[in-house]
Amino acid sequence: MTIQIQESDNRLIAFFAGRLDTAAAAAATDAVKPLLEAADKEIVLDCSELEYISSSGLRIFLSIRKEAAAHGSRVIVRSINADIRQVFVMTGFISLFEIQ
Amino acid sequence: MDLHAELILSDYREAVPVLERLKQEVLAKLHDALKRNGLFVTAVEARVKTENSLAGKLALKGAKYASLNDITDLVGARVVTYYTDDVDRVASMAEQIFDIDWGNSIDKRKLHQLDSFGYDSLHYICRMPGYDLRFELQLRTTLQHAWAAINHDIGYKSGIEVPREYMRRMNRLAGMLEMADDEFSRIRTELNDYRRRVGQLVANGKLDEVQLDGDTFRSYMQVKPLENLNKRIAAINQAEIQEVPLSAFLSVLKALNCMTLGDVSRLIKQYQEDAYRLARHQLGNTDIDIISSAIGLQNICIVCILSSGGGKIGLKRMFDAINGPAQHNAELAELTFNQASNLPFMRN
Repeated sequence: MTIQIQESDNRLIAFFAGRLDTAAAAAATDAVKPLLEAADKEIVLDCSELEYISSSGLRIFLSIRKEAAAHGSRVIVRSINADIRQVFVMTGFISLFEIQ
Repeated sequence: MDLHAELILSDYREAVPVLERLKQEVLAKLHDALKRNGLFVTAVEARVKTENSLAGKLALKGAKYASLNDITDLVGARVVTYYTDDVDRVASMAEQIFDIDWGNSIDKRKLHQLDSFGYDSLHYICRMPGYDLRFELQLRTTLQHAWAAINHDIGYKSGIEVPREYMRRMNRLAGMLEMADDEFSRIRTELNDYRRRVGQLVANGKLDEVQLDGDTFRSYMQVKPLENLNKRIAAINQAEIQEVPLSAFLSVLKALNCMTLGDVSRLIKQYQEDAYRLARHQLGNTDIDIISSAIGLQNICIVCILSSGGGKIGLKRMFDAINGPAQHNAELAELTFNQASNLPFMRN
């Protein structure tokens, strides 16, 4: 599991790759801290290389969204695969995130 | 400038640090009191009179002031409210936190003759405990503020007397804005009455008497009609429930012919069992232990759409409504349709 963060045009883009499962969650929580600290900017979670997301991964996405909402900013979840999109539907989070 | 005015100016220069401190304390007290009273306003501002401005005032009417303490607007504060009713609420609040010099305070709103228009604010001359110097507090609405600022710009900035015709047009605007202020206040009052009425109808279960809209939907959701269903779904995997807004579903419910809260209540009752079955079917063989509070309503909408023959197109419309129109919503609709295809409600 890797997370790379890039800044461009006053937005932060986090590129997730691999499996965001329970084993990867602790490292991922640390890796997304820069997003939480700059949550006043628009945040894009690019999931084009993300293969799987567990409940722990969903909690990480939720914490980013919560911080961004507190700062009046928004989070875009980009390029999720069909399986992960289905996870968003069956948990009811599809209406919470802006999914592109 | 005469010697008397020079002496007052000299005292002013010495007093500037005290004036700055007074300004900060006035601002802090106002902010604190507004917060405690739950009053939301457009702006709270304060300034210390500049030396140039004071010199101008002294040049015009310096003899009127025996000392610096007689000048009451060295510190000026202003609270700009949204509504005209709130001017009086803020005034009452100011009376609690400052000593008001009633002899010098003016409610300019009450000075107008029957046949004249003007657009003035409430001016209090106040004293803060611990300070000899008084300060001026202006209270006005946002529309009053806009009119006063433009009137000042037109009347003074140009440095020439404004012809009567333009004054008349400004006063016509003042009259119009006064009516607009009153109407804004009336709208707020009536909306609050409406919300209270809706709250009572919801609390008394008279749901058929309440039209479905954003306000009434929010009121209804406060009585948690979906709580049991969400808890049952959460129990499938011992999941935690994250509270999320449900407003995105309002347009979906309307598309499903829900015109009143009674219709929403019947929709929930009719489809909650199948909504639970759909969740169990989807979540039962996963280890997902977190769900959103939207899941119950979302599944009810899905079941309603599929039971009434809306098919994949109906599901795509729902996902378009809650997640924004997108091509990938067609894939979601397909996937959801296929998952539900073995459930009993699809065989009816």
